[in-house]
Amino acid sequence: MDAAVASPSPRIALVGVPNCGKTALFNRLTGSHQKVANYPGVTVERREGERHAADGKALRVLDLPGTYSMNPTTLDEAITRDVLLGRVAGEAAPDLVVCVVDAVHLPIGLRLALDVKRLGLAMVLAVNRMDVAKRRGVHIDLARLSAELGVPVIPTVAVKRGGADALIAAIEPTNWQAHRRVAAPAWHAPTAEDAEQTQNDLRALLDAVGYRPPPESRFGNNLDRVLLHPLGGMLVLAVVMFLMFQAVFSWAEAPMGWIESGMAVLGEWVGSALPEGPLNSLLVDGVIAGAGGVLVFLPQIIILFFFILALEDSGYLPRAAYLLDRLMGSVGLSGRAFIPLLSSFACAIPGIMAARTIPGWRDRLTTIMVAPLMTCSARLPVYALLIAAFIPSESVGVFNLQGLVMFGLYAAGILSALLVAWVMKLFTSGKLHSPLLLELPDYQWPNASNLLLGLWERVKIFLARVGGIILALTIILWFLSSYPAPPADATGPAIQYSFAGRLGAALEHVFAPIGFNWQISIALVPGLAAREVAVSSLGTVYALSAVGDDVSGQLEPLIASSWSLATACSLLAWYVFAPQCLSTLAVVKRETNSWRYPLIMAGYLFALAYLASFITYRVVGAWS
Amino acid sequence: MQNTIVILLLVAATLFSVWKLMPARRRLQVLLALDAWLARRDFLQDWRTGALARRIKTAGSGCAGCAANVGIRPHSRRR
Repeated sequence: MDAAVASPSPRIALVGVPNCGKTALFNRLTGSHQKVANYPGVTVERREGERHAADGKALRVLDLPGTYSMNPTTLDEAITRDVLLGRVAGEAAPDLVVCVVDAVHLPIGLRLALDVKRLGLAMVLAVNRMDVAKRRGVHIDLARLSAELGVPVIPTVAVKRGGADALIAAIEPTNWQAHRRVAAPAWHAPTAEDAEQTQNDLRALLDAVGYRPPPESRFGNNLDRVLLHPLGGMLVLAVVMFLMFQAVFSWAEAPMGWIESGMAVLGEWVGSALPEGPLNSLLVDGVIAGAGGVLVFLPQIIILFFFILALEDSGYLPRAAYLLDRLMGSVGLSGRAFIPLLSSFACAIPGIMAARTIPGWRDRLTTIMVAPLMTCSARLPVYALLIAAFIPSESVGVFNLQGLVMFGLYAAGILSALLVAWVMKLFTSGKLHSPLLLELPDYQWPNASNLLLGLWERVKIFLARVGGIILALTIILWFLSSYPAPPADATGPAIQYSFAGRLGAALEHVFAPIGFNWQISIALVPGLAAREVAVSSLGTVYALSAVGDDVSGQLEPLIASSWSLATACSLLAWYVFAPQCLSTLAVVKRETNSWRYPLIMAGYLFALAYLASFITYRVVGAWS
Repeated sequence: MQNTIVILLLVAATLFSVWKLMPARRRLQVLLALDAWLARRDFLQDWRTGALARRIKTAGSGCAGCAANVGIRPHSRRR
């Protein structure tokens, strides 16, 4: 296998402290030719990309998780060290290391550079954000720095077109292959004397290159006074999150309508172009009504991620982590849990994996256990469908009512996560809260190309899911909902006599107390594979349930007319808690190396979901 | 004709779903077994050293339903 895996392409690893502009530089080097791992959240993501050297040879570029030193305190830092040392299975040490440092905050990056240089790998030092450094009066003698370190030192401005041209030239294999290390790099855990020596070397180096820290930014300080204020900051954070969910509904309305109309036209065209038969039914009732029904939610996902990426790029998110640290600490969550939990808004899986950045086992376990309560993007289609069907699109003051309900559902997820963490704190002994130490980056305008690339990745992931697992499961569900054919004397819709119909009827007994009908009960089963599949399943089930000519490609009016408000609210409450994602449970098993925790997680989440749905169904049923 | 196409689509969808929902470790085992089997034969060597090798490399981990799936090795101990 090793022979098969070995690649002749030179491997270049980008390493640097978090928020030094490493990922922006990586984007500049690889453009859209990159593959994003479902590795931890944005700041600890592991990405691999490709660029072609002048001679046409492919170079593999690896963006390693941000780290402060080669002596790791967290699992993701350990991964960076292991990749550099060639300890990761199936991967040799990189041929060239590009160590990225922030010119404005040079000391912290240079300390890491000294560590990396000791490994003996061929290295280039990229001094990034040189434009900001110049503007803020930071002087660095790059020629002297290069001479002192004995490696090429390249100034870069990752966020500007052409800002990495010098680096691109420097990583041409002809410029460094002579210095390529043949033997495996060596490393030993530093002693106190080693750390002191590094600090002395660093001081001498900074003196030699004439570095002086920049004067503090008045604008940044003034903004921090507001955004980090215990009360005002929380208020701003709540408003930002609130506006985000308002925008998800308001801005997405038009493009969602276009996609819906497109799907309806496509369904009609396919229905009339193909003769009646199983393929016609599969395409119209299965693929278009099912998978097509999920595609409608693409604009909302794009808008949600636009906000998340913009907030991250602007430097606001670490400040939000700082703000929430005290609140999270009071319920037993580590401040470091903020980024994993934020990643969980995209998908619980990278969030759970990002919990590797949390040093303590108990802190980490608590984060893993509550991560699925964060509202992942897969829930968005389910929420959006139910809200659009049952909540009128009217204004409450200046706000949109549908946006308010969506905000409430997200808030319910967050509050329940805090509540569960607090309960876990009661049952665990020992110190749970480790202090949060993080560097607050400078404020900056989000970079348009970074935003577009980030959004493009999310679009690709969503489309791959719709065209992959969602489409496949929709086809299987169509078969289960269509066969066996109904008897000759059948009176009800054909689906009631199918495999899925019988399963739905059996499950209905379990779910009837919480208001779910047999169609919902069927949709919950394939929805375990991926939450959005519940929407496509409902589309297929309702399309096949329709008798005569009243088949409609529009799921929303169908459920609005056949479900009660109590049932819809109950299903919403179910989706706030239910562990409707087998992949998440599988990752928890892998991350905890035990079946115990995924089973506990599934048990407590199902119990919470059932209880919440039961209460919601009874309360809303009594009021409406 | 429609029946035949539907059966083919159904089989493909079932195989794809099983593959995507299979635990990452099991997927890797299947790929390694395929690699070992092909190594003893003369055909499909280009595919084996190219696409299959790349697939093996990225099959070590990842969410089953997620398009982004670059391999990281599983950890044996977490504490």
